[in-house]
Amino acid sequence: MASLTYSFDELMSESPVEEPLIAGGVRCHGGYVAGEYVSPRSAVRRPAIEAWRQRLLDDGHPLIHVPEKYVPPNYPNYPQAKYLLKEGVVEPVTRALTIISIVEGFGARIREVRVPDFAMEVKESIEGTAVAHLANGLFEAHARDEAGHRNEGGHKQMWEAARDLGLAKPHVPGDVLLRLMTGGAVGERVRLFPALSEKMENMIVMMANVLIVETFAEDTFNWAQQLLGDPEVSADPQHAAHVVACIARDEVPHVDYLTVALSELRTRTLIGADGKTELSGAEVIDSVFRRQLRGMATQRPRQSRDRLRDEIRQAIADTQRASVVAKRFEDLDSGWAFPHPDDEALDVLLTAA
Amino acid sequence: MNVGSRIAERLYRNARIGWTASCVWLRYKTPQWWDRLLRRDPAGRDMNAIHQRNADQIFNTAVSMRGMLVKMCQVVGTRSDIFPPQYVKTLSQCHDRLPPRDFATVKQVIEEDFGRPFGEVFSEFSPKAIAAASLAQVHKARLVSGREVAVKVQYPDIEHIIRTDLTASRRVAAIYQRFDSNPMDFLPLLDELQRHLKMELDFRREAQSAERVRGFFVNDPTVRIPEILHEHCTRRVIVMEYVEGVKVNDREALENAGIEYSDLMVRLMRIFNQMILAHGFFHADPHPGNILVNRSPRGKALFTLLDFGLAKELPEGFGLGIFELMFSMMTFNESAMLRAFRELGFETKTGDDSTLLLIARRMIARSDTGTFQGEFTEDMTDEMFEAIRENPVVKVPIDFVLVARAFALLSGIAHTLGQRANALDAMGPAVAG
Repeated sequence: MASLTYSFDELMSESPVEEPLIAGGVRCHGGYVAGEYVSPRSAVRRPAIEAWRQRLLDDGHPLIHVPEKYVPPNYPNYPQAKYLLKEGVVEPVTRALTIISIVEGFGARIREVRVPDFAMEVKESIEGTAVAHLANGLFEAHARDEAGHRNEGGHKQMWEAARDLGLAKPHVPGDVLLRLMTGGAVGERVRLFPALSEKMENMIVMMANVLIVETFAEDTFNWAQQLLGDPEVSADPQHAAHVVACIARDEVPHVDYLTVALSELRTRTLIGADGKTELSGAEVIDSVFRRQLRGMATQRPRQSRDRLRDEIRQAIADTQRASVVAKRFEDLDSGWAFPHPDDEALDVLLTAA
Repeated sequence: MNVGSRIAERLYRNARIGWTASCVWLRYKTPQWWDRLLRRDPAGRDMNAIHQRNADQIFNTAVSMRGMLVKMCQVVGTRSDIFPPQYVKTLSQCHDRLPPRDFATVKQVIEEDFGRPFGEVFSEFSPKAIAAASLAQVHKARLVSGREVAVKVQYPDIEHIIRTDLTASRRVAAIYQRFDSNPMDFLPLLDELQRHLKMELDFRREAQSAERVRGFFVNDPTVRIPEILHEHCTRRVIVMEYVEGVKVNDREALENAGIEYSDLMVRLMRIFNQMILAHGFFHADPHPGNILVNRSPRGKALFTLLDFGLAKELPEGFGLGIFELMFSMMTFNESAMLRAFRELGFETKTGDDSTLLLIARRMIARSDTGTFQGEFTEDMTDEMFEAIRENPVVKVPIDFVLVARAFALLSGIAHTLGQRANALDAMGPAVAG
């Protein structure tokens, strides 16, 4: 069996590369070996995650996951976005790509997540698991991948580069931060399992959130690769699409380690803040995961799509052939139906090992 | 004021400004002359006591003479990128610790500007000012309609005083630059001051700024900008809705008012983020006296923003630049920080970026200790500006200075409340991938 315990430095270690990734003039993480892109911090991290995953599977435990049918497609979809660009309506796409870059950058805040005292709050041993390595390299590596580190850009800078390459350094709308800040009301966080320590519950909620966002992002990667790689609308299709492909490849270990760690916690017994109460890890994780998924797969993306649709309509209204463009744009909508929050199938979250 | 007394006043002010400037200059020069005479290394001398004595004298002169000197001290009190901390700390007191003028003076301005007797406008008027600053003071009053209002009244002779002081200051600066072998260039500071004062002296502009900010928060019930009664506003008088509330940094009063304030700073930072980062127009003077808090029906904080005299328009894209700067610091990203400096308009006189890189490294080194969490603390801006002072080839955009100061003031409020003023926490997605 492969080793299951790693040091921080090991998880942070880089595979040797022959040349660095320079995206839009910015030195980014990762690099190339024989022309093939190699993700950052992948020398040990990737095999380590695979080893932890294999152990779970060998022990007969399922992996938590987001059912594909609940992954909302990117809005506007590829044909719609391509049509907008062809009609000279660049701003909505620029805004979308810029917001993606900022949101990716915010992923760095995962390093600030306070990890509970697992020895006190998990009944069984967590030795040799992904959970044991969250604060010892996995969160930090994730943070560096997203926002860059030192003199290397991360996904934030790579998305900006992809945008600038594909759309020929477009004017970034001044309202980008405003859209981000007014994107949703700040709700009061309700404790789901008050018996658990706040640190434990917050960590689980945050990991579930990020896993869902990362899974949803897979469709965005496909969308961006298609759009920015389309020679009809992209200024530099080859490089722009390649940068997005590199990001997509870097994101795989994020989805994997979060999946493995949450699935590991399902197999454990969690101890409450009083040191006595015992809660089934499966019950806690499944409940949190379902709750977050319900919110993120139903109302929120629908509201977000409606808002985006209004913005795009506004942008189209400023064009010369507004009514024609608006009609064609709507015709290209895929008409994806958002699942209903009460959809019982949302409870089907686990795949058999 | 007749011509004779105006001339006398002008002479007196010129003499007093000249005397203060001479004392300050001599306090710096005398030790230098001694060092040269005794062949001592001047770099080894501790200048802190001299800075403090000079700052104290300037402060005392400003408080007794008011007018532009107070304004100048306020500007110096914000420019920790240029002046030693003793000046910044001492002179920043000029923001809110000034004695008010007498009621007769206030009444005269109101009658002159309204062109009718005082009693035709107000049925009640508290002779005691609620607050007094460099250009104006505020009184509580009641209109004849019965409405309770706050009235901000400009000092009547302020324009004349400012003109006199500006001329005197320019003369003093010119003399100083002629006599000093290595002079500091004060003229850009005076130009900046002149621009600010021109805007601030027209209260109709302040009223417009308040309306503009109100527009940003029209759908946000947690932010309130007092209603401006435009029909009673002139170039020297603003009449606005009277709002009571708890001073934002008064923990005891917040508790007594039953306001749950555990997330007060996140909410307040969100308001300033929206102005600074998103709208590019902001209240640049968020000291605690300008932010009142009331209790919402759910027991949360409702904010009232006062005094838009120092509202500032930022260049397009500046908010994004500030965001990038904070973000690069939080993520230890040197190259991104360097880019953000350039986007914000930082320049080196030589065109060489190595100094900016040095500053970036110093700030990143601070982040390494885990102290930067999206919060521009006073310590932090002090440290950044100290790094800049040590590298005088760097030109800092004034907009950045004002934004950093606003964030530092908010950070001061946060610390009084035992919270943090993390601008990034109050930004958007709390966690995303």
